[in-house]
Amino acid sequence: MSPIDSPAIVLDAVSKSYGEVRAADEVSISIGRGEFFGLLGPNGAGKTTLIEMIEGLRLPDTGTITVLGMAPAPRNLDLLPRIGVQTQRSAFFTRLTAREHLVTVAALYGLPPATAEKALDLVGLTDSGNVRVTRISGGQRQRLAIASTLVHDPEVVFLDEPTAALDPEARRDLGQMLRNLKAIGKTIVYTTHHLDEAQTLCDRVAILSAGRVLALDSPRELIARSGIGTRLVIPAGRLSPEQAGTLDGVNGVAVEDGMLVLRTAHAARVLAALDGAADLDDVETRPATLEDVYLELIGAPQA
Amino acid sequence: MSAYAALSRAVYKAAVRDATTVFFTFAFPLIFLVIFALIFRNQEVADTGRGYVDYIAPGVLSWGLANAALFGVAFTLMQWRNDDLLRIIRLSPTSIWSVIGSRYVVALGIGAAQCVLFVGVAMLPVFGMRPDPTWPLAIPIMLLAVTAFLALGLIVGSAANTPEAVAAIANCVVVPMAFLSGSFYPLELMPTWLQEVSRVLPMRYVNDGITYAFTGFGTMTDYLISCAALVVFTAVFAVVGVRTFRWSNDS
Ligand SMILES: Nc1ncnc2c1ncn2[C@@H]1O[C@H](COP(=O)(O)OP(=O)(O)OP(=O)(O)O)[C@@H](O)[C@H]1O
Ligand SMILES: [Mg+2]
Repeated sequence: MSPIDSPAIVLDAVSKSYGEVRAADEVSISIGRGEFFGLLGPNGAGKTTLIEMIEGLRLPDTGTITVLGMAPAPRNLDLLPRIGVQTQRSAFFTRLTAREHLVTVAALYGLPPATAEKALDLVGLTDSGNVRVTRISGGQRQRLAIASTLVHDPEVVFLDEPTAALDPEARRDLGQMLRNLKAIGKTIVYTTHHLDEAQTLCDRVAILSAGRVLALDSPRELIARSGIGTRLVIPAGRLSPEQAGTLDGVNGVAVEDGMLVLRTAHAARVLAALDGAADLDDVETRPATLEDVYLELIGAPQA
Repeated sequence: MSAYAALSRAVYKAAVRDATTVFFTFAFPLIFLVIFALIFRNQEVADTGRGYVDYIAPGVLSWGLANAALFGVAFTLMQWRNDDLLRIIRLSPTSIWSVIGSRYVVALGIGAAQCVLFVGVAMLPVFGMRPDPTWPLAIPIMLLAVTAFLALGLIVGSAANTPEAVAAIANCVVVPMAFLSGSFYPLELMPTWLQEVSRVLPMRYVNDGITYAFTGFGTMTDYLISCAALVVFTAVFAVVGVRTFRWSNDS
């Protein structure tokens, strides 16, 4: 295999425990170059532990990790300039301005201040460059943290919850920025609790729980394989649940919040059968989402 | 710009932009000088014809240098580790020696500025300090003092995880040491056994060395012993400091 075709990241049976807590349990994942990979899972699932082991910041108890063909730990000076890391807590140099912070980070990689200016521009912070890092808004902090991650133009980018604490517009902007990064060939590994975002951004996702990989595939494939199918929501009263249950292609019927919910793997057939029984304009079609798959795997919280 | 220069600049800016740091580094020792000057006003030390300020000023300066070096580096280290800044550095190709070196050069600069300001003020007619012509001997001692207490600060900065802990540990180290080393109170007036205790404290040698440089009190041999002792203390603290160093609070 040539270096270009070889995977960017390979985890082989990686395990790590903190006392009784299994933070990673025999995790094996291979991430290709240029892939946008999402690590999903509830709080405490082991996402940060896993990502930090890949970065070489924490050591696995057993198993091996390879990044760009190299071992990330012990501290590997050949590898470090080729990866960019945003830690879950954003880190900024004390009492510096955004620009000064980035100039300092650039210098850590032996790069001139002009690189810092480019990174500032990339995340749209040029106008806030002279504001102290303690005074900029939460969303700007997040963007500055990402600028710090990208300042040295790394090949592989690790982002731990980059979209946490962002307003919807900032989240969308950031999503666009991440897509642009993927478009220029970066490998991106990121964690998030926003499943809608993961569904649209990620080539593949791994769903973790208690350190174990419960599912690993593209969002589309995971949704298709889950068999959750489509949900058709009809205002109650148009059709009795009994009638609905007899329709061609319906797998399940429930009444939720005064609405009749039909589950099906063949939405078109059910819609055809419904025609006449109910006004199709009132029928809302909800395809299964990554969130549905996730909740089914993790076990939806019983409200 | 090299990583070393950039980090030095970052540390320098963080220090001068913090009013508390500036106050404790530069104004606090001067306040002590004023207090002691008021206590010992117009008294001369028997047989020497010198004012008390010539004995008090070197002691207060020693304490001020040690205090600023230790607190400064301990705070920086604790803060950089807590804020994940050490991770950012750890994830870049910059070596840990650039980090320590940059903090060191800033500490030396601050120490030199402290000396100039403090001695300058002490020489004002109200205080009336008159340094001996041997005063340049204070420079090596000053450098060694900052080095030794910076190394001690590395240990404190690794042991403490909060600003409160840094302040508590550093004060417990520095304040008793200042008294036991004769910075505030002449060693000769203490019980003999306490004078012996002072020999295991690095501040005593800073004090002895600076006093010799400014007033000629003691001998050249004592001065050289002070320098050697500070080198030994630095080596011991540095070894412990490197061993206790942690990149982050997680394992
Ligand atoms: N340094 C540590 N010492 C002890 N236990 C730890 C440590 N770091 C993580 N853990 C434990 O390991 C498990 C996984 O933690 P981790 O931070 O990796 O989860 P996560 O998936 O990133 O969670 P979140 O979504 O909340 O960020 C948790 O049970 C956590 O308590
Ligand atoms: Mg986490």
